[in-house]
Amino acid sequence: MNIERKITLSNAAYLVLIVIIAGFAVQQLNSVSEKQRFLEIADDLNASFLTMRLSEKNYFLFNDDNALVDIQSNIVQSSETLESVREDIVPVIGEPDYQSLRSGLDDYAAAVAQENSTHARDPATASLIRERGRSLENTSNQIIHLERERISEIISRSKLLLFVSFFAILVVALIASRSVTRSILRPIKQIERLARSISAGNFRKVETPKPRDEFGPVIDAINSMSEELEEREEELIQSRKLASIGVLVSGVAHEINNPVNNITMIAQTYDDMYPKLSEEQRIDFMRKVDQESERIKGIVTNLLDFAKPREPKPREIDINDLVVKALALVQNTLDVSRIDTKLQPGEALPHLFIDDNQVQQVLVNLFLNAAQAMTPGGRLFVTTALQEDGKMVDVVIRDTGKGIEPEYLTQIFDPFFSTKEEGGTGLGLSVSYSIIRNHGGNIRVESTPGIGTTFTIQLPVQTIQKGKS
Amino acid sequence: MSARIMVIDDEKIVGDMAKISLEEEGYEVETFLSAAPALERLKEASFEIVVTDLKMKGIDGLEVLKTVKQLHPESKVIMITAFADLDVAIEAIKADVFDFFPKPVRIKELKESIRKALAE
Repeated sequence: MNIERKITLSNAAYLVLIVIIAGFAVQQLNSVSEKQRFLEIADDLNASFLTMRLSEKNYFLFNDDNALVDIQSNIVQSSETLESVREDIVPVIGEPDYQSLRSGLDDYAAAVAQENSTHARDPATASLIRERGRSLENTSNQIIHLERERISEIISRSKLLLFVSFFAILVVALIASRSVTRSILRPIKQIERLARSISAGNFRKVETPKPRDEFGPVIDAINSMSEELEEREEELIQSRKLASIGVLVSGVAHEINNPVNNITMIAQTYDDMYPKLSEEQRIDFMRKVDQESERIKGIVTNLLDFAKPREPKPREIDINDLVVKALALVQNTLDVSRIDTKLQPGEALPHLFIDDNQVQQVLVNLFLNAAQAMTPGGRLFVTTALQEDGKMVDVVIRDTGKGIEPEYLTQIFDPFFSTKEEGGTGLGLSVSYSIIRNHGGNIRVESTPGIGTTFTIQLPVQTIQKGKS
Repeated sequence: MSARIMVIDDEKIVGDMAKISLEEEGYEVETFLSAAPALERLKEASFEIVVTDLKMKGIDGLEVLKTVKQLHPESKVIMITAFADLDVAIEAIKADVFDFFPKPVRIKELKESIRKALAE
């Protein structure tokens, strides 16, 4: 269900609840006001009944014949009232109560009418009239009392109902708002994680089932942005390469110029000084010419790698074996520089489909960089581990060297950027970066000047399917 | 008394070859692979000629030139550069550089320049 529907639905639920409660409250109020109206009428009737009882006394005690006429006119009045409000009070007090009032009044009227015809004032008639008058009064009082009780009952029930429904609304609101909030927050968290990993240069996608609400399209958009960024990064690398052709020309010229100068100086000295040179010196000169030629060859090879990175030829490789092999290649250099190596191979790592020659080149390059960054006694930590989601294997190479200044960190993968004091073509990391990216992996660097540098190579567990290549 | 020549270049072969060729001419030659120890040495001894590479990590050839002129105004500085950069050349001339040599260096020309410098 999408979020808009959820919000609309929960709002509709509140509305229905409130309408029901309001309807109930209105009904209760109506019933109270009807009863109130009955009580007013009953009070009027009661007042007439009292007047009749008073006239009764006047008639019997003070022999006032007019009193009987008063009683009769009061009876007629009350009877008319009862008749005219019949429609109003029957629903309130019910037909039986109404009938008992009616018959009480009729009985009383009959007794009074009989006395009026004789004016006998005998004790039997007197007591009958008194009896019926009292009974009428009692009936009326009882009904009023009962109705008062019902009113207070209705009021306290309404109070309770309003109280309960207030809590019901509160609970519904809490549950609904929690569910809506959660369905908004969860995808936001997902998106946040994704954005972080994208900004770290890791062009992942949201793999979990997409929510079917408004966040579905958002996640789609971010996923396609991630893809786009990944493509653009490739383009950026290519255009950076183009942009660095200028740097390349002067860089290569400078790099090659030094060994060329060395060779020409050796050649001139050899030529000028030939008779005076010893046999060993002549051999030493030629060896140096050879070494300097090797230097030029190395620069040219690096250049070719940079200009046209070879397609990786992946094979199934145990990354721990490869790390051990690469370490063995640089062991001599590490020993000479008195660098202590600590290898922590991850256990039960899945095999990777990688070009072992290329990845080994990257490892050797990073090991040598680390060795050059350290003074004797430095330590090199190499760790391999499977990432939590099982999709990538990390090779972490940490040194205790001098570190890289923060302002250089963004440039170290750029071609021809070098911080080395002596030589360095500035191509090693740039070529390493291309190799790892060509494998669908990633290479990251963190460094603190004076503390050391950590390179993390991330290689996908299976970008190239078995049997596909 | 033979003239004293200092050669500063981070390429060891440059110093080695210069030393062999210049000692053959009868000069006393000291070579350095970077500017810092060379400048230390200049505090205790003077050299008639200082041959220095321009582009070096740390202290570069221009700074060497200026420091030499400060410590020993009579010393002559000859600069070796990989590239002829006009801005650097102007700055070097202002700082009273004696001569400029682009790499690859012709040793005969270098010797000739040193002879001229010593004759002045």
